[in-house]
Amino acid sequence: MARDDSLLETNKDYAIGLGRAFGGAVLFAIPLLMTMEMWWLGFSMGRGRLLLFMALNFAILVGLSYFAGFEKTFSWKEDVMDALAAFGVGLVTSALMLTLLAVITLDMTWNEIVGKVALQSVPASIGAMLGRKQLGAEQDTRSEEDRKREAGYGGELFLMMAGALFLAFNVAPTEEMILIAFQMSPLHALALGGASIFLLHVFVYAVGFSGQESRPEGGTFLPTFLHFTVAGYGIALLVSLYVLWTFGRTDGVAPAEIASMVVVLGFPASLGAAMARLVI
Amino acid sequence: MKSDSMHQNGHHSDADQHTPWLEWIAAGAGLLLAVCMFGFIGWQALNDATSPPVITVETTDVDPVAGGYRVMFQARNAGGAAAAQVRIEGTLAVGSRPPEVSSVILDYIPGQSAREGGLFFMQDPRSGNLTLRASGFGKP
Repeated sequence: MARDDSLLETNKDYAIGLGRAFGGAVLFAIPLLMTMEMWWLGFSMGRGRLLLFMALNFAILVGLSYFAGFEKTFSWKEDVMDALAAFGVGLVTSALMLTLLAVITLDMTWNEIVGKVALQSVPASIGAMLGRKQLGAEQDTRSEEDRKREAGYGGELFLMMAGALFLAFNVAPTEEMILIAFQMSPLHALALGGASIFLLHVFVYAVGFSGQESRPEGGTFLPTFLHFTVAGYGIALLVSLYVLWTFGRTDGVAPAEIASMVVVLGFPASLGAAMARLVI
Repeated sequence: MKSDSMHQNGHHSDADQHTPWLEWIAAGAGLLLAVCMFGFIGWQALNDATSPPVITVETTDVDPVAGGYRVMFQARNAGGAAAAQVRIEGTLAVGSRPPEVSSVILDYIPGQSAREGGLFFMQDPRSGNLTLRASGFGKP
């Protein structure tokens, strides 16, 4: 089979990108790989919810591939292929790491092993997708900026959603989320909600991070606040509710308690939403 | 900041023409894994994943140790759903004395899976009548 130079070059490039993807998968998945609730949720959470969560994760991978994949992508086909590769990298990484940490052993049943690996593959595959961006030396920042601009408001909201999901997912499995919600008074919850909105606004629009969103031309405080901060917090709350439901934390719980759990989880979620554009 | 649409046009056409074979392999492997994973979990969802736990306990080993006797057991959950905080209780009746009771709580037993543990007794379980059972569980 004859190959020309450019083909060899792209294969090599792709292999390097794949290596970075593995690095990103390990890096982003480590906190959850070492969280025991994640191991238990892997086999105890509802199978339907796990399937839905993984399908949603795949859709997010395709979207992330568009904005910041481990390869420069140019078409839907490429984005889907990259998402599949990231999914594979995430699965392989979590299977290897869980084996290394003795969380899965050969005397366990397939039900248990597959459940654990499947759930851990979610953060690992997102890490794989972001690996190139975070660990890569030559980033094509300009084309990413172009894409974010082309995607417009919908793209902004998507990135906020992805960021909120990632950070919320990182803390949601722990018992502490529920414990914090239980020991907070309604006043605490209101204060935490206010702090979330304040930080979301300040982090993205007032502090001068690189990759910071610029205010719309001629935009004053109120339109910017309503368009991005309030929308972002809304997304953070919805994502929190979804993640809590996925992990079965809302089953049979009174609405007031759910609301307070959503506010607690909404705090990391809104930080994730604010940071999304800085990271991605 | 102005956008510069020319900055990587050359690269575009190259990559459009040849998708590296490694990319096909990586994406293909990912697709295969994804299909297997979704298929397996989907199959679980449709097959008995939610039937409540049924836990049986059987003794695997009895050994004299310092301070008494150690009974190793295996608790198997034949139901589809996982059980949490499973209490395993062992009752040892030797002669006419009041029975000796030892118990342990296992954090989790996944559906269709087994977990192992041990109980300690003062008297020799082999000389008496030992019964092991799961006395309760919580839903995770």
